[in-house]
Amino acid sequence: MKKRKRRPYIWFLLPGFLLYLAFVIYPILAAGKLSLFEWNGIGEQVFVGFRNYKELFSAPDMMGQMLNALKNSLILFVLTVLIQVPIQLIMAYMIYSKARGKSYFQVAIFSPQFIATPVIVFLFTLLFDGNVGVVNRVMEAVGLGEYTRSWLRVPEFGIYIIWAMITWAGIGVGMMYFISAMKMIGTDSLESAYIEGAGFWKRLWYIVLPQMKMTILNIILIGYIFCMTVFDYSYLLGGTAGGINGSVDVMSLFFYRMAFGDNNPLGGRISNNSVGMGTTIACVLFAMVFVVALIQILIVYRGGKDNE
Amino acid sequence: MNNRDMMSKHQGKAAGVVKALLWIYSTCVFLLLLYMTYQSLRPKSDILGKTFAAPEKLSLDNYIRLLTEEHFFRYFGNSLVILVFSLALLVFLSSLTAYGIARYQFKGRRFCRVFFLIGMMFPAQLGVIPIFQIMKTLGLINSPLSVILVSSANISMPVFMLTNFFEKLPNEIYEAAVIDGAGEWTAFRKVMFPMASPVVFTVCITASVQIWNQFFLPLVFLQRDEMKTIPQLITKYTSNIMNTVDLAAAASTLATIPILLLFIIFSNRILDGVMSGGVKG
Repeated sequence: MKKRKRRPYIWFLLPGFLLYLAFVIYPILAAGKLSLFEWNGIGEQVFVGFRNYKELFSAPDMMGQMLNALKNSLILFVLTVLIQVPIQLIMAYMIYSKARGKSYFQVAIFSPQFIATPVIVFLFTLLFDGNVGVVNRVMEAVGLGEYTRSWLRVPEFGIYIIWAMITWAGIGVGMMYFISAMKMIGTDSLESAYIEGAGFWKRLWYIVLPQMKMTILNIILIGYIFCMTVFDYSYLLGGTAGGINGSVDVMSLFFYRMAFGDNNPLGGRISNNSVGMGTTIACVLFAMVFVVALIQILIVYRGGKDNE
Repeated sequence: MNNRDMMSKHQGKAAGVVKALLWIYSTCVFLLLLYMTYQSLRPKSDILGKTFAAPEKLSLDNYIRLLTEEHFFRYFGNSLVILVFSLALLVFLSSLTAYGIARYQFKGRRFCRVFFLIGMMFPAQLGVIPIFQIMKTLGLINSPLSVILVSSANISMPVFMLTNFFEKLPNEIYEAAVIDGAGEWTAFRKVMFPMASPVVFTVCITASVQIWNQFFLPLVFLQRDEMKTIPQLITKYTSNIMNTVDLAAAASTLATIPILLLFIIFSNRILDGVMSGGVKG
Protein backbone atom coordinates (compact mmCIF):
# COMPACT_ATOMS: atom_id res chain seq x y z
CA MET A 1 0.00 0.00 0.00
CA LYS A 2 1.17 3.46 -0.74
CA LYS A 3 1.79 5.67 2.17
CA ARG A 4 -0.58 8.52 2.67
CA LYS A 5 1.46 11.67 3.02
CA ARG A 6 -1.31 14.16 2.78
CA ARG A 7 -3.55 14.61 5.74
CA PRO A 8 -7.02 13.75 4.57
CA TYR A 9 -8.45 13.85 8.08
CA ILE A 10 -8.09 17.63 8.11
CA TRP A 11 -10.53 17.95 5.24
CA PHE A 12 -12.96 15.66 7.00
CA LEU A 13 -12.71 17.55 10.27
CA LEU A 14 -12.53 21.11 9.05
CA PRO A 15 -16.13 21.96 8.05
CA GLY A 16 -17.66 20.58 11.23
CA PHE A 17 -14.89 22.05 13.31
CA LEU A 18 -15.42 25.55 11.95
CA LEU A 19 -19.18 25.65 12.40
CA TYR A 20 -18.94 24.04 15.81
CA LEU A 21 -16.27 26.54 16.80
CA ALA A 22 -18.32 29.51 15.60
CA PHE A 23 -21.70 28.60 17.06
CA VAL A 24 -20.91 26.39 20.05
CA ILE A 25 -17.44 27.06 21.45
CA TYR A 26 -16.95 30.76 20.70
CA PRO A 27 -20.36 31.79 22.14
CA ILE A 28 -19.55 30.03 25.40
CA LEU A 29 -16.28 31.89 25.78
CA ALA A 30 -17.87 35.15 24.66
CA ALA A 31 -20.65 34.72 27.22
CA GLY A 32 -18.05 34.35 29.96
CA LYS A 33 -16.34 37.52 28.80
CA LEU A 34 -19.54 39.54 28.37
CA SER A 35 -20.64 38.74 31.91
CA LEU A 36 -17.80 41.00 33.07
CA PHE A 37 -19.15 43.99 31.19
CA GLU A 38 -22.05 46.34 31.51
CA TRP A 39 -23.69 46.43 28.11
CA ASN A 40 -27.12 46.49 26.51
CA GLY A 41 -26.04 45.11 23.14
CA ILE A 42 -25.99 48.44 21.34
CA GLY A 43 -24.15 51.11 23.29
CA GLU A 44 -20.71 51.15 24.77
CA GLN A 45 -19.25 48.15 26.64
CA VAL A 46 -17.99 49.09 30.08
CA PHE A 47 -15.75 46.66 31.92
CA VAL A 48 -17.09 46.17 35.44
CA GLY A 49 -15.29 43.05 36.65
CA PHE A 50 -17.47 40.87 38.82
CA ARG A 51 -19.98 43.60 39.59
CA ASN A 52 -22.78 41.84 37.69
CA TYR A 53 -22.27 38.73 39.80
CA LYS A 54 -22.21 40.79 42.99
CA GLU A 55 -25.41 42.51 41.98
CA LEU A 56 -27.11 39.21 41.11
CA PHE A 57 -26.21 37.74 44.49
CA SER A 58 -26.88 40.79 46.64
CA ALA A 59 -29.67 42.93 45.17
CA PRO A 60 -32.82 41.66 46.94
CA ASP A 61 -34.93 41.84 43.80
CA MET A 62 -32.49 39.82 41.65
CA MET A 63 -31.63 37.38 44.40
CA GLY A 64 -35.32 36.84 45.13
CA GLN A 65 -36.12 36.07 41.52
CA MET A 66 -33.18 33.72 41.25
CA LEU A 67 -33.95 31.83 44.45
CA ASN A 68 -37.58 31.46 43.42
CA ALA A 69 -36.57 30.15 39.99
CA LEU A 70 -34.09 27.75 41.57
CA LYS A 71 -36.67 26.55 44.06
CA ASN A 72 -39.05 25.75 41.22
CA SER A 73 -36.37 23.89 39.28
CA LEU A 74 -35.53 21.95 42.40
CA ILE A 75 -39.18 20.95 42.89
CA LEU A 76 -39.22 19.69 39.31
CA PHE A 77 -36.08 17.69 39.92
CA VAL A 78 -37.23 16.17 43.21
CA LEU A 79 -40.54 15.12 41.70
CA THR A 80 -38.69 13.64 38.76
CA VAL A 81 -36.44 11.53 40.93
CA LEU A 82 -39.09 10.46 43.44
CA ILE A 83 -42.00 9.85 41.09
CA GLN A 84 -41.03 9.85 37.44
CA VAL A 85 -37.98 7.59 37.63
CA PRO A 86 -39.74 4.84 39.66
CA ILE A 87 -42.68 4.94 37.25
CA GLN A 88 -40.32 4.71 34.30
CA LEU A 89 -38.60 1.72 35.91
CA ILE A 90 -41.87 -0.09 36.54
CA MET A 91 -43.13 0.63 33.03
CA ALA A 92 -39.84 -0.58 31.58
CA TYR A 93 -39.93 -3.73 33.70
CA MET A 94 -43.48 -4.55 32.60
CA ILE A 95 -42.56 -4.13 28.95
CA TYR A 96 -39.33 -6.05 29.45
CA SER A 97 -41.34 -8.87 31.06
CA LYS A 98 -43.38 -9.12 27.90
CA ALA A 99 -46.65 -7.87 29.34
CA ARG A 100 -49.46 -8.32 26.84
CA GLY A 101 -49.81 -5.15 24.79
CA LYS A 102 -46.22 -4.09 25.25
CA SER A 103 -45.90 -2.59 21.75
CA TYR A 104 -49.09 -0.64 22.35
CA PHE A 105 -47.70 0.68 25.67
CA GLN A 106 -44.39 1.62 24.12
CA VAL A 107 -45.96 3.55 21.28
CA ALA A 108 -48.50 5.29 23.54
CA ILE A 109 -45.98 6.23 26.22
CA PHE A 110 -43.36 7.39 23.74
CA SER A 111 -45.74 9.29 21.41
CA PRO A 112 -45.83 12.60 23.31
CA GLN A 113 -42.10 12.86 22.63
CA PHE A 114 -43.05 13.83 19.08
CA ILE A 115 -45.51 16.52 20.09
CA ALA A 116 -44.41 20.16 20.12
CA THR A 117 -44.55 21.88 23.51
CA PRO A 118 -47.31 24.37 22.56
CA VAL A 119 -49.52 21.44 21.57
CA ILE A 120 -48.80 19.70 24.86
CA VAL A 121 -49.82 22.85 26.69
CA PHE A 122 -52.94 23.01 24.52
CA LEU A 123 -53.82 19.39 25.32
CA PHE A 124 -53.53 20.18 29.01
CA THR A 125 -55.72 23.23 28.42
CA LEU A 126 -58.38 21.00 26.87
CA LEU A 127 -58.25 18.92 30.05
CA PHE A 128 -57.83 21.47 32.82
CA ASP A 129 -59.10 24.79 31.49
CA GLY A 130 -61.70 26.60 33.56
CA ASN A 131 -64.20 26.92 30.72
CA VAL A 132 -63.63 24.16 28.21
CA GLY A 133 -61.71 21.71 30.40
CA VAL A 134 -62.79 18.09 30.56
CA VAL A 135 -61.91 17.80 34.25
CA ASN A 136 -64.31 20.54 35.35
CA ARG A 137 -67.14 19.11 33.27
CA VAL A 138 -66.60 15.69 34.76
CA MET A 139 -66.53 17.14 38.27
CA GLU A 140 -69.79 18.97 37.62
CA ALA A 141 -71.31 15.78 36.33
CA VAL A 142 -70.43 13.81 39.46
CA GLY A 143 -71.56 16.56 41.83
CA LEU A 144 -68.25 18.17 42.68
CA GLY A 145 -69.18 21.34 40.82
CA GLU A 146 -68.26 23.58 43.74
CA TYR A 147 -64.60 22.57 43.50
CA THR A 148 -64.18 23.36 39.83
CA ARG A 149 -61.68 26.03 38.97
CA SER A 150 -59.32 27.17 36.30
CA TRP A 151 -56.66 24.64 37.21
CA LEU A 152 -53.93 26.02 35.02
CA ARG A 153 -54.32 29.47 36.56
CA VAL A 154 -53.90 28.51 40.23
CA PRO A 155 -50.44 29.77 41.21
CA GLU A 156 -49.95 27.09 43.87
CA PHE A 157 -50.39 24.36 41.27
CA GLY A 158 -48.28 26.03 38.61
CA ILE A 159 -45.00 24.24 38.99
CA TYR A 160 -46.71 20.88 39.53
CA ILE A 161 -48.64 21.33 36.31
CA ILE A 162 -45.36 22.10 34.55
CA TRP A 163 -43.95 18.91 36.00
CA ALA A 164 -46.97 16.91 34.87
CA MET A 165 -46.52 18.21 31.33
CA ILE A 166 -42.78 17.51 31.32
CA THR A 167 -43.37 14.02 32.63
CA TRP A 168 -46.17 13.22 30.22
CA ALA A 169 -44.07 14.43 27.32
CA GLY A 170 -40.74 12.96 28.28
CA ILE A 171 -41.38 9.81 30.26
CA GLY A 172 -40.94 7.56 27.22
CA VAL A 173 -37.29 8.32 26.57
CA GLY A 174 -36.03 7.28 29.99
CA MET A 175 -38.27 4.24 29.86
CA MET A 176 -36.70 3.13 26.58
CA TYR A 177 -33.22 3.56 28.07
CA PHE A 178 -34.26 1.42 31.02
CA ILE A 179 -35.68 -1.28 28.75
CA SER A 180 -32.46 -1.28 26.78
CA ALA A 181 -30.43 -1.63 29.99
CA MET A 182 -32.68 -4.47 31.19
CA LYS A 183 -32.20 -6.32 27.94
CA MET A 184 -28.44 -6.35 28.60
CA ILE A 185 -28.88 -8.28 31.82
CA GLY A 186 -28.15 -11.97 31.45
CA THR A 187 -31.29 -14.08 31.80
CA ASP A 188 -29.39 -16.80 33.70
CA SER A 189 -29.46 -14.98 37.02
CA LEU A 190 -33.12 -14.12 36.54
CA GLU A 191 -34.02 -17.70 35.74
CA SER A 192 -32.16 -19.17 38.67
CA ALA A 193 -33.80 -16.61 40.96
CA TYR A 194 -37.14 -17.61 39.53
CA ILE A 195 -36.48 -21.29 40.12
CA GLU A 196 -35.46 -20.53 43.69
CA GLY A 197 -38.81 -18.88 44.16
CA ALA A 198 -38.08 -15.15 43.92
CA GLY A 199 -41.28 -13.38 42.92
CA PHE A 200 -41.80 -10.91 40.10
CA TRP A 201 -41.05 -7.77 42.12
CA LYS A 202 -38.26 -9.38 44.14
CA ARG A 203 -36.47 -10.17 40.90
CA LEU A 204 -36.77 -6.52 39.89
CA TRP A 205 -35.44 -5.28 43.23
CA TYR A 206 -32.63 -7.76 43.86
CA ILE A 207 -31.50 -8.76 40.40
CA VAL A 208 -32.50 -6.21 37.79
CA LEU A 209 -32.06 -2.86 39.54
CA PRO A 210 -28.59 -3.52 41.02
CA GLN A 211 -27.35 -4.28 37.52
CA MET A 212 -28.53 -1.03 36.02
CA LYS A 213 -27.35 1.50 38.57
CA MET A 214 -25.35 3.46 36.03
CA THR A 215 -28.30 3.80 33.68
CA ILE A 216 -30.51 5.01 36.53
CA LEU A 217 -27.86 7.48 37.62
CA ASN A 218 -27.54 8.68 34.05
CA ILE A 219 -31.29 9.26 33.73
CA ILE A 220 -31.31 11.16 37.04
CA LEU A 221 -28.45 13.38 35.88
CA ILE A 222 -30.15 14.03 32.54
CA GLY A 223 -33.28 14.87 34.53
CA TYR A 224 -31.32 17.35 36.65
CA ILE A 225 -29.89 19.11 33.61
CA PHE A 226 -33.32 19.20 32.01
CA CYS A 227 -35.04 20.62 35.11
CA MET A 228 -32.37 23.30 35.46
CA THR A 229 -32.58 24.41 31.82
CA VAL A 230 -36.27 23.89 31.00
CA PHE A 231 -37.80 26.91 29.31
CA ASP A 232 -40.75 26.39 26.93
CA TYR A 233 -43.29 25.07 29.41
CA SER A 234 -42.83 27.93 31.86
CA TYR A 235 -42.80 30.50 29.08
CA LEU A 236 -45.98 29.12 27.54
CA LEU A 237 -47.86 28.78 30.80
CA GLY A 238 -46.69 31.89 32.61
CA GLY A 239 -45.38 34.23 29.92
CA THR A 240 -42.14 36.15 30.30
CA ALA A 241 -42.99 37.02 33.90
CA GLY A 242 -43.16 33.35 34.87
CA GLY A 243 -46.75 33.32 36.05
CA ILE A 244 -48.44 35.07 38.95
CA ASN A 245 -45.76 35.91 41.54
CA GLY A 246 -43.30 33.88 39.51
CA SER A 247 -45.15 30.66 40.30
CA VAL A 248 -43.74 28.87 37.27
CA ASP A 249 -40.52 30.86 36.91
CA VAL A 250 -37.34 28.92 36.19
CA MET A 251 -33.71 29.91 35.62
CA SER A 252 -33.90 29.94 31.82
CA LEU A 253 -36.95 32.16 31.90
CA PHE A 254 -35.25 34.49 34.38
CA PHE A 255 -32.34 34.58 31.96
CA TYR A 256 -34.60 35.28 28.99
CA ARG A 257 -36.41 38.05 30.86
CA MET A 258 -33.16 39.79 31.74
CA ALA A 259 -31.53 39.31 28.34
CA PHE A 260 -34.38 39.92 25.93
CA GLY A 261 -36.76 41.98 28.03
CA ASP A 262 -40.24 41.67 29.31
CA ASN A 263 -42.61 41.66 26.33
CA ASN A 264 -45.73 41.51 28.40
CA PRO A 265 -48.84 43.42 27.35
CA LEU A 266 -48.21 46.05 30.01
CA GLY A 267 -45.31 47.33 27.98
CA GLY A 268 -41.85 45.97 27.37
CA ARG A 269 -38.97 46.89 29.53
CA ILE A 270 -35.37 45.95 29.13
CA SER A 271 -32.56 47.04 31.36
CA ASN A 272 -29.59 48.94 30.03
CA ASN A 273 -27.40 46.10 31.20
CA SER A 274 -29.36 43.36 29.43
CA VAL A 275 -26.38 41.64 27.86
CA GLY A 276 -24.15 41.92 30.93
CA MET A 277 -26.75 40.64 33.37
CA GLY A 278 -28.15 38.10 30.89
CA THR A 279 -24.79 36.45 30.34
CA THR A 280 -24.10 36.58 34.07
CA ILE A 281 -27.27 34.59 34.78
CA ALA A 282 -26.38 32.22 31.94
CA CYS A 283 -22.96 31.65 33.50
CA VAL A 284 -24.47 30.97 36.92
CA LEU A 285 -26.86 28.53 35.28
CA PHE A 286 -23.92 26.89 33.57
CA ALA A 287 -22.02 26.59 36.84
CA MET A 288 -24.94 24.69 38.32
CA VAL A 289 -25.14 22.31 35.38
CA PHE A 290 -21.44 21.90 34.67
CA VAL A 291 -20.36 19.30 37.24
CA VAL A 292 -23.42 17.18 36.70
CA ALA A 293 -23.05 17.39 32.94
CA LEU A 294 -19.42 16.39 33.24
CA ILE A 295 -20.29 13.25 35.20
CA GLN A 296 -23.08 12.47 32.77
CA ILE A 297 -20.76 12.72 29.79
CA LEU A 298 -18.21 10.50 31.49
CA ILE A 299 -20.91 7.87 31.93
CA VAL A 300 -21.91 8.12 28.27
CA TYR A 301 -18.29 8.21 27.14
CA ARG A 302 -17.52 4.97 28.91
CA GLY A 303 -20.68 3.47 27.51
CA GLY A 304 -22.35 3.27 30.94
CA LYS A 305 -20.48 0.17 32.04
CA ASP A 306 -23.36 -1.44 33.88
CA ASN A 307 -23.29 -4.93 32.64
CA GLU A 308 -19.67 -5.80 32.21
CA MET B 1 -42.17 -23.77 27.57
CA ASN B 2 -38.90 -22.26 28.72
CA ASN B 3 -38.24 -20.42 31.92
CA ARG B 4 -38.56 -17.03 30.33
CA ASP B 5 -42.13 -17.77 29.34
CA MET B 6 -42.83 -19.33 32.71
CA MET B 7 -41.59 -16.21 34.43
CA SER B 8 -43.96 -14.00 32.51
CA LYS B 9 -46.83 -16.23 33.61
CA HIS B 10 -46.12 -15.89 37.31
CA GLN B 11 -46.21 -12.18 38.04
CA GLY B 12 -48.76 -11.86 40.80
CA LYS B 13 -51.69 -9.58 41.48
CA ALA B 14 -49.77 -6.30 41.76
CA ALA B 15 -48.37 -6.81 38.28
CA GLY B 16 -51.90 -7.34 37.04
CA VAL B 17 -52.95 -4.01 38.51
CA VAL B 18 -49.96 -2.27 36.93
CA LYS B 19 -50.79 -3.82 33.59
CA ALA B 20 -54.37 -2.63 33.85
CA LEU B 21 -53.11 0.88 34.66
CA LEU B 22 -50.83 0.76 31.64
CA TRP B 23 -53.75 -0.19 29.42
CA ILE B 24 -55.82 2.67 30.81
CA TYR B 25 -53.00 5.19 30.56
CA SER B 26 -52.04 4.23 27.02
CA THR B 27 -55.62 4.33 25.88
CA CYS B 28 -56.08 7.75 27.50
CA VAL B 29 -53.12 9.09 25.53
CA PHE B 30 -54.78 8.13 22.27
CA LEU B 31 -58.22 9.22 23.45
CA LEU B 32 -56.83 12.64 24.30
CA LEU B 33 -55.40 13.00 20.82
CA LEU B 34 -58.67 11.84 19.28
CA TYR B 35 -60.53 14.30 21.48
CA MET B 36 -58.37 17.13 20.20
CA THR B 37 -58.98 16.01 16.63
CA TYR B 38 -62.71 15.85 17.32
CA GLN B 39 -62.78 19.39 18.73
CA SER B 40 -60.81 20.65 15.74
CA LEU B 41 -63.77 19.70 13.53
CA ARG B 42 -66.28 21.79 15.47
CA PRO B 43 -67.08 25.51 15.28
CA LYS B 44 -65.72 27.71 18.05
CA SER B 45 -69.11 28.36 19.61
CA ASP B 46 -69.65 24.61 20.06
CA ILE B 47 -66.22 23.98 21.57
CA LEU B 48 -66.71 26.76 24.09
CA GLY B 49 -70.43 26.47 24.73
CA LYS B 50 -71.30 22.82 24.28
CA THR B 51 -67.92 21.23 24.93
CA PHE B 52 -69.32 17.79 25.56
CA ALA B 53 -72.50 17.87 23.54
CA ALA B 54 -73.00 15.41 20.74
CA PRO B 55 -71.58 16.64 17.45
CA GLU B 56 -74.19 18.70 15.69
CA LYS B 57 -72.11 19.72 12.76
CA LEU B 58 -68.64 18.50 12.02
CA SER B 59 -66.80 20.24 9.27
CA LEU B 60 -63.38 21.08 7.97
CA ASP B 61 -64.12 24.80 8.25
CA ASN B 62 -61.40 25.38 10.84
CA TYR B 63 -58.85 23.73 8.60
CA ILE B 64 -59.97 25.67 5.56
CA ARG B 65 -59.61 28.91 7.49
CA LEU B 66 -56.23 27.80 8.78
CA LEU B 67 -54.95 27.00 5.31
CA THR B 68 -56.35 30.04 3.53
CA GLU B 69 -56.81 33.09 5.76
CA GLU B 70 -54.19 32.07 8.30
CA HIS B 71 -51.47 31.03 5.82
CA PHE B 72 -50.66 27.77 7.55
CA PHE B 73 -48.53 26.66 4.62
CA ARG B 74 -46.25 29.66 5.01
CA TYR B 75 -45.35 28.62 8.55
CA PHE B 76 -45.19 25.01 7.51
CA GLY B 77 -42.78 26.03 4.76
CA ASN B 78 -40.64 27.98 7.23
CA SER B 79 -40.46 24.96 9.53
CA LEU B 80 -39.73 22.67 6.60
CA VAL B 81 -36.90 24.84 5.24
CA ILE B 82 -35.30 24.93 8.67
CA LEU B 83 -35.72 21.18 9.14
CA VAL B 84 -34.41 20.08 5.74
CA PHE B 85 -31.37 22.31 5.64
CA SER B 86 -30.45 21.83 9.30
CA LEU B 87 -30.74 18.09 9.00
CA ALA B 88 -28.76 17.88 5.76
CA LEU B 89 -26.01 20.10 7.15
CA LEU B 90 -25.99 18.30 10.50
CA VAL B 91 -25.65 14.85 8.96
CA PHE B 92 -23.06 16.05 6.46
CA LEU B 93 -20.89 17.79 9.07
CA SER B 94 -21.17 15.21 11.80
CA SER B 95 -20.50 12.19 9.61
CA LEU B 96 -17.46 13.86 8.05
CA THR B 97 -16.13 14.88 11.43
CA ALA B 98 -16.79 11.50 13.01
CA TYR B 99 -15.16 9.73 10.09
CA GLY B 100 -12.10 11.95 10.33
CA ILE B 101 -11.71 11.22 14.03
CA ALA B 102 -12.42 7.52 13.78
CA ARG B 103 -10.47 6.49 10.67
CA TYR B 104 -7.23 8.38 10.94
CA GLN B 105 -4.42 8.30 13.44
CA PHE B 106 -3.11 11.75 14.15
CA LYS B 107 -1.82 13.90 16.94
CA GLY B 108 -4.63 15.46 18.92
CA ARG B 109 -7.12 12.75 18.04
CA ARG B 110 -8.14 12.21 21.65
CA PHE B 111 -8.40 15.94 22.12
CA CYS B 112 -10.75 16.09 19.15
CA ARG B 113 -13.04 13.45 20.64
CA VAL B 114 -13.34 15.39 23.89
CA PHE B 115 -13.51 18.74 22.10
CA PHE B 116 -16.60 17.71 20.17
CA LEU B 117 -18.24 16.39 23.33
CA ILE B 118 -17.97 19.74 25.12
CA GLY B 119 -21.09 21.05 23.42
CA MET B 120 -23.22 18.58 25.38
CA MET B 121 -22.27 20.15 28.69
CA PHE B 122 -23.53 23.62 27.98
CA PRO B 123 -27.10 24.72 28.27
CA ALA B 124 -28.33 26.25 25.01
CA GLN B 125 -29.11 29.50 26.79
CA LEU B 126 -25.48 30.14 27.70
CA GLY B 127 -24.34 30.98 24.20
CA VAL B 128 -27.46 32.56 22.83
CA ILE B 129 -26.59 36.19 23.57
CA PRO B 130 -23.22 36.08 21.77
CA ILE B 131 -24.88 34.15 18.93
CA PHE B 132 -27.54 36.84 18.79
CA GLN B 133 -24.78 39.44 18.41
CA ILE B 134 -23.16 37.41 15.62
CA MET B 135 -26.48 37.04 13.80
CA LYS B 136 -27.14 40.74 14.14
CA THR B 137 -23.74 41.50 12.61
CA LEU B 138 -24.40 39.08 9.77
CA GLY B 139 -27.89 40.49 9.28
CA LEU B 140 -29.47 37.10 9.86
CA ILE B 141 -32.04 38.06 12.49
CA ASN B 142 -35.43 37.06 11.04
CA SER B 143 -33.72 34.79 8.55
CA PRO B 144 -34.18 31.02 8.79
CA LEU B 145 -30.45 30.73 8.18
CA SER B 146 -29.79 31.82 11.78
CA VAL B 147 -31.77 28.91 13.19
CA ILE B 148 -30.33 26.53 10.60
CA LEU B 149 -26.73 27.42 11.41
CA VAL B 150 -27.16 27.10 15.15
CA SER B 151 -29.18 23.88 14.89
CA SER B 152 -26.68 22.19 12.63
CA ALA B 153 -23.63 23.33 14.59
CA ASN B 154 -24.93 21.27 17.49
CA ILE B 155 -23.08 18.15 16.41
CA SER B 156 -21.79 16.80 19.73
CA MET B 157 -24.13 13.84 20.08
CA PRO B 158 -24.18 12.80 16.39
CA VAL B 159 -20.38 13.01 16.19
CA PHE B 160 -20.09 10.88 19.30
CA MET B 161 -22.48 8.21 18.02
CA LEU B 162 -20.99 8.11 14.53
CA THR B 163 -17.40 8.07 15.80
CA ASN B 164 -18.22 4.99 17.85
CA PHE B 165 -19.71 3.37 14.79
CA PHE B 166 -16.86 4.15 12.39
CA GLU B 167 -14.28 2.98 14.91
CA LYS B 168 -15.89 -0.43 15.06
CA LEU B 169 -15.91 -0.90 11.29
CA PRO B 170 -13.16 -3.35 10.30
CA ASN B 171 -10.27 -1.77 8.49
CA GLU B 172 -10.47 -4.34 5.68
CA ILE B 173 -13.56 -2.72 4.22
CA TYR B 174 -11.73 0.57 3.89
CA GLU B 175 -8.61 -1.09 2.47
CA ALA B 176 -10.63 -3.06 -0.07
CA ALA B 177 -12.18 0.16 -1.27
CA VAL B 178 -8.79 1.84 -1.57
CA ILE B 179 -7.33 -1.13 -3.47
CA ASP B 180 -10.24 -0.87 -5.87
CA GLY B 181 -8.93 2.56 -6.66
CA ALA B 182 -11.16 4.68 -4.47
CA GLY B 183 -9.73 7.90 -3.09
CA GLU B 184 -10.29 8.96 0.52
CA TRP B 185 -13.40 10.86 -0.38
CA THR B 186 -14.90 8.15 -2.59
CA ALA B 187 -14.17 5.51 0.04
CA PHE B 188 -16.10 7.57 2.52
CA ARG B 189 -18.99 8.51 0.29
CA LYS B 190 -19.49 5.24 -1.57
CA VAL B 191 -18.52 2.66 1.04
CA MET B 192 -18.24 3.87 4.60
CA PHE B 193 -21.08 6.39 4.83
CA PRO B 194 -23.75 4.04 3.43
CA MET B 195 -22.74 1.47 6.03
CA ALA B 196 -23.52 3.97 8.76
CA SER B 197 -27.11 4.40 7.63
CA PRO B 198 -28.70 2.79 10.73
CA VAL B 199 -26.85 5.25 12.96
CA VAL B 200 -27.61 8.10 10.58
CA PHE B 201 -31.27 7.09 10.73
CA THR B 202 -31.26 7.34 14.52
CA VAL B 203 -29.46 10.68 14.37
CA CYS B 204 -32.00 11.96 11.85
CA ILE B 205 -35.00 10.89 13.91
CA THR B 206 -33.70 12.42 17.13
CA ALA B 207 -32.56 15.60 15.42
CA SER B 208 -35.73 16.04 13.36
CA VAL B 209 -37.92 15.90 16.43
CA GLN B 210 -35.72 18.44 18.17
CA ILE B 211 -35.44 20.77 15.21
CA TRP B 212 -39.09 20.55 14.16
CA ASN B 213 -40.39 21.20 17.66
CA GLN B 214 -37.72 23.61 18.84
CA PHE B 215 -39.04 26.63 20.57
CA PHE B 216 -36.21 28.68 22.01
CA LEU B 217 -34.11 29.52 18.94
CA PRO B 218 -37.03 30.61 16.72
CA LEU B 219 -38.39 32.65 19.62
CA VAL B 220 -35.13 34.56 19.86
CA PHE B 221 -34.15 34.80 16.19
CA LEU B 222 -37.40 34.84 14.22
CA GLN B 223 -39.43 37.78 15.42
CA ARG B 224 -41.16 38.89 12.23
CA ASP B 225 -44.47 37.13 11.87
CA GLU B 226 -44.00 35.81 8.34
CA MET B 227 -40.76 34.08 9.37
CA LYS B 228 -42.20 32.14 12.28
CA THR B 229 -42.45 28.38 12.58
CA ILE B 230 -45.32 26.01 13.32
CA PRO B 231 -44.80 25.86 17.11
CA GLN B 232 -44.83 29.67 17.18
CA LEU B 233 -48.03 29.76 15.13
CA ILE B 234 -49.71 27.36 17.55
CA THR B 235 -48.52 29.49 20.44
CA LYS B 236 -50.22 32.48 18.86
CA TYR B 237 -53.57 30.64 18.94
CA THR B 238 -53.20 28.95 22.31
CA SER B 239 -52.18 32.13 24.08
CA ASN B 240 -55.67 33.50 23.45
CA ILE B 241 -57.77 30.44 23.89
CA MET B 242 -61.18 32.10 24.15
CA ASN B 243 -60.80 33.76 20.76
CA THR B 244 -58.94 31.17 18.77
CA VAL B 245 -59.60 27.80 20.35
CA ASP B 246 -60.88 26.49 17.02
CA LEU B 247 -57.71 27.47 15.18
CA ALA B 248 -55.59 26.20 18.04
CA ALA B 249 -57.26 22.81 17.81
CA ALA B 250 -56.96 22.62 14.04
CA ALA B 251 -53.33 23.77 13.95
CA SER B 252 -52.36 21.45 16.81
CA THR B 253 -54.01 18.50 15.12
CA LEU B 254 -52.45 19.27 11.78
CA ALA B 255 -49.02 19.63 13.38
CA THR B 256 -49.30 16.51 15.51
CA ILE B 257 -51.35 13.72 13.99
CA PRO B 258 -49.38 13.17 10.73
CA ILE B 259 -46.11 12.97 12.65
CA LEU B 260 -47.58 10.54 15.16
CA LEU B 261 -48.93 8.36 12.34
CA LEU B 262 -45.44 8.25 10.85
CA PHE B 263 -44.06 7.32 14.24
CA ILE B 264 -46.61 4.54 14.71
CA ILE B 265 -45.85 3.11 11.26
CA PHE B 266 -42.09 3.12 11.87
CA SER B 267 -42.26 2.65 15.63
CA ASN B 268 -40.22 -0.56 15.72
CA ARG B 269 -37.28 0.94 13.90
CA ILE B 270 -37.48 4.24 15.74
CA LEU B 271 -37.72 2.72 19.19
CA ASP B 272 -34.85 0.34 18.42
CA GLY B 273 -32.83 3.35 17.35
CA VAL B 274 -33.66 5.18 20.57
CA MET B 275 -32.57 2.19 22.61
CA SER B 276 -29.31 1.63 20.77
CA GLY B 277 -28.41 5.26 20.35
CA GLY B 278 -29.02 6.30 23.90
CA VAL B 279 -27.06 5.53 27.00
CA LYS B 280 -25.14 2.71 25.47
CA GLY B 281 -23.73 4.95 22.75
